[in-house]
Amino acid sequence: MLNSYWLDANMSTDDVWKKICLAFPILADNECSRECPEDNVLEEIKELKLNKCIEDIVICRIEQIMRQKITPDFWSRFSERKTEIGGFERFKDAVDFLYNSFSNFLPMLENLEKFRTISRINRVIYGEETLLGTFKVIVTSTLLSQLPLTHQIITEDFYKVSFKVFCNADKSDVDQDESSEDVVQCGGCSHEIEQCHCQAILLVFHETNRKLIELDLLERLAGEVITTLIHIRIENHVQESCKGSFDTSYISSLESWLSTVVMGWLTHIYNVNAVSTQSSIKKFHQKISHFLYETYTRTRIEQLFNIIIEYPDSQPAVEDLRICLQKTDLRLYLTQKLQRALETRLLHPGVNTPDVLTAYVAAIRALRQLDPTGVLLETVTLPVRHYLRWRDDTVRCVVSSLTEEGPSELADELVRGEALQLDEGAPSDEDMTNWEGWNPDPVDADPSKTSKSRRTSDIISMLVNVYGSKELFVNEYRTLLADRLLSQFTYNTEKEIRYLELLKLRFGESQLHYCEVMLKDVYDSKRINAHLHSDPNFKLDRQQFPSTAMILSAQFWPPFKEETLELPDFVKEHLQIYTKAFETLKGNRTLSWKPHLGSVNIDIELKDRKFNLTVSPIHATIIWHFQTKNQWTVEELSQLMHVPATVLRRKIAFWQSQGMLREISTDSFLLVEESSTRSKCPVPPDMVCEDEETESAMASAHDQREEELQVFWSYIVGMLTNLDLMPLERIHQMLKMFASQGPTAVECSLRELRNFLDRKVREHRLLFSGGFYRLPKS
Amino acid sequence: MKVTIRSWTGVATWRWVANDDNCGICRMAFDGCCPDCKLPGDDCPLVWGQCSHCFHIHCIMKWLNSQQVQHLCPMCRQEWKFKE
Repeated sequence: MLNSYWLDANMSTDDVWKKICLAFPILADNECSRECPEDNVLEEIKELKLNKCIEDIVICRIEQIMRQKITPDFWSRFSERKTEIGGFERFKDAVDFLYNSFSNFLPMLENLEKFRTISRINRVIYGEETLLGTFKVIVTSTLLSQLPLTHQIITEDFYKVSFKVFCNADKSDVDQDESSEDVVQCGGCSHEIEQCHCQAILLVFHETNRKLIELDLLERLAGEVITTLIHIRIENHVQESCKGSFDTSYISSLESWLSTVVMGWLTHIYNVNAVSTQSSIKKFHQKISHFLYETYTRTRIEQLFNIIIEYPDSQPAVEDLRICLQKTDLRLYLTQKLQRALETRLLHPGVNTPDVLTAYVAAIRALRQLDPTGVLLETVTLPVRHYLRWRDDTVRCVVSSLTEEGPSELADELVRGEALQLDEGAPSDEDMTNWEGWNPDPVDADPSKTSKSRRTSDIISMLVNVYGSKELFVNEYRTLLADRLLSQFTYNTEKEIRYLELLKLRFGESQLHYCEVMLKDVYDSKRINAHLHSDPNFKLDRQQFPSTAMILSAQFWPPFKEETLELPDFVKEHLQIYTKAFETLKGNRTLSWKPHLGSVNIDIELKDRKFNLTVSPIHATIIWHFQTKNQWTVEELSQLMHVPATVLRRKIAFWQSQGMLREISTDSFLLVEESSTRSKCPVPPDMVCEDEETESAMASAHDQREEELQVFWSYIVGMLTNLDLMPLERIHQMLKMFASQGPTAVECSLRELRNFLDRKVREHRLLFSGGFYRLPKS
Repeated sequence: MKVTIRSWTGVATWRWVANDDNCGICRMAFDGCCPDCKLPGDDCPLVWGQCSHCFHIHCIMKWLNSQQVQHLCPMCRQEWKFKE
């Protein structure tokens, strides 16, 4: 190509080349000189009509120099460093070097630009209109094409050091007076205070950034490092500021921290020409504030279990989390994390059921606040509900905390009083009046349930729903009520009646009918006692001690534990008189005593002591017998009282603890008449002694259920005799068909049935193989 | 040692002195109450006929009211007369 022009211009090739080199010295030597050639030189070259070609050659040369000299030189400064400060220096050197080389190119570029204008070349090179733009693209691309692996270390050093200095300067504004005296090292540059380099570092930092921005290299070279640094910084700050305290909201303080400290640093980096960087700073702000929210949310989610446990106090934290959840997409993460936390910290045998319940109640309340639709609550607490169903004493705990005295969340909830909402109810229509305010359920909602049922069900309903049936709860309440009535022996039932009314509101009248009768029994007993004692015809006033009774309607009370006790004849006579009086009062009715139940007030006179005690009949009987003989063996007493020796030993322990009896040899007890030998623990007079272990007088719910299931057993035996082999499901179906009809239908879930059958297998009354049950061959 | 009982509170269950457990009409326990009643005992007493059969009073009254011609004991078909 050169050849053809050369022929036209009638010049030698050398002459032409020399001329071109005169205009663009870069082509001739390796160094780019600063001197500017005269304008006429450019004019002359223009005449050669080699415009485009010359431009190409020059740019090619620039690229070559960049690639072969400047870039390797630049990156060579990014090698090993010893300290952070060293890295800082190296980075600064490198940028200075690059900037200088860049500046050296500038006159030549100007020259080329001039050349372009006079020869009217206006083509676009590398997508840039101007030569400067093109040059910057060349610089960036050659730099990035030779990126060494370890370049980030040095960059990181640079920004880390400067960020530290910056933060320190920021901090020292706040607490300068307190700590500056005893600090020898400067928090920013780690030099001694007197020789603090902070100012110098800031200056260098500022300068370097300015250069990088001028080169358009800041984003490319340091963007990632800056972002990482900021992220780490945000993470640390969030961790530090909201570690372990849930009673304040942090969102606003975190946001202001972000916009002052972090954004302050960023503007420090970018703030060279404010207008052009405005938008990129804005974009950056959005990005890092999202990151802040995400970090904060994650931190809170990590702590969510503790937040829940402390719930009413941790309300601000929950509120924060609620706001954050709307801004981030961490719902699923929350569900998984919280479920795992619940499983590892709550749902294992080491935790008491009341504690599980407390946590569950707290979770219900906290998650309600977090997500008013209740979807989150439903998904997260599913394992808790499964777990609670599996625990034996759940019902008992729920019921007792419902009726507990003193501050109990459940009792308060009960007083608030609302009809119980159970899942089984027909799906109610959505509220049509407020259709504009309707929101769809969250994506993770269970579509088979109405959103209303989730929104409205309260804590007690949620607890009852653990089992899905009211009966279990009502039965448990009945047992607990019976226990309380029979252990306190006060005829004062006002409080119980109040609770019963509250419970009726929730569980319905019919369910609690039995309990009503129980309370009426107590009330009636009081009346009957008063009546019998006031009427002299019954001769009760002439007894040696007043005998009263709790007269119960057996059909309405839960089954009693069967225990035997032979009372002293003296007492039996008294009770006989009472029975006679009752029979006279209520014709055709009589009483059957439960001798082991009741309470006895006795005076005990020893040689040197006197007590008044209130004890159970069995305790009274034991000590009564020691009047006739001061030494008994357990066996003798057992025969006399018709009480099993094991029970007797336990009861005797009570008198031992009172210092009345002493075990002289195994199972043989002696009355301690004089306490002189062991007066260490004087018993205060007039004390009321509760039984050490408050035992339930009632058969446990478990035992009752067992009894109910026994009904099925005859059916099952019948089935298996006829059909030989049957799988579990089929037995269940058959039972549903035949056994669960009629007024006394007993429901039995598949799971329960399996447990029942497995127990029978263990008792060798069934055989199980290959999924089939059959009767053992007898 | 001397033990003096100051007072004794026992626990007892009441029951009707009858020759059966369940009412022959409603098949409910005598110690419970008839299907129309809520409270047992005084509120739902038993009555005896001269034939010595007994029922919840509400049950036998219902039965007698439904008999137009003659009042018979539902158990033994003898004429029903209340035992004095």
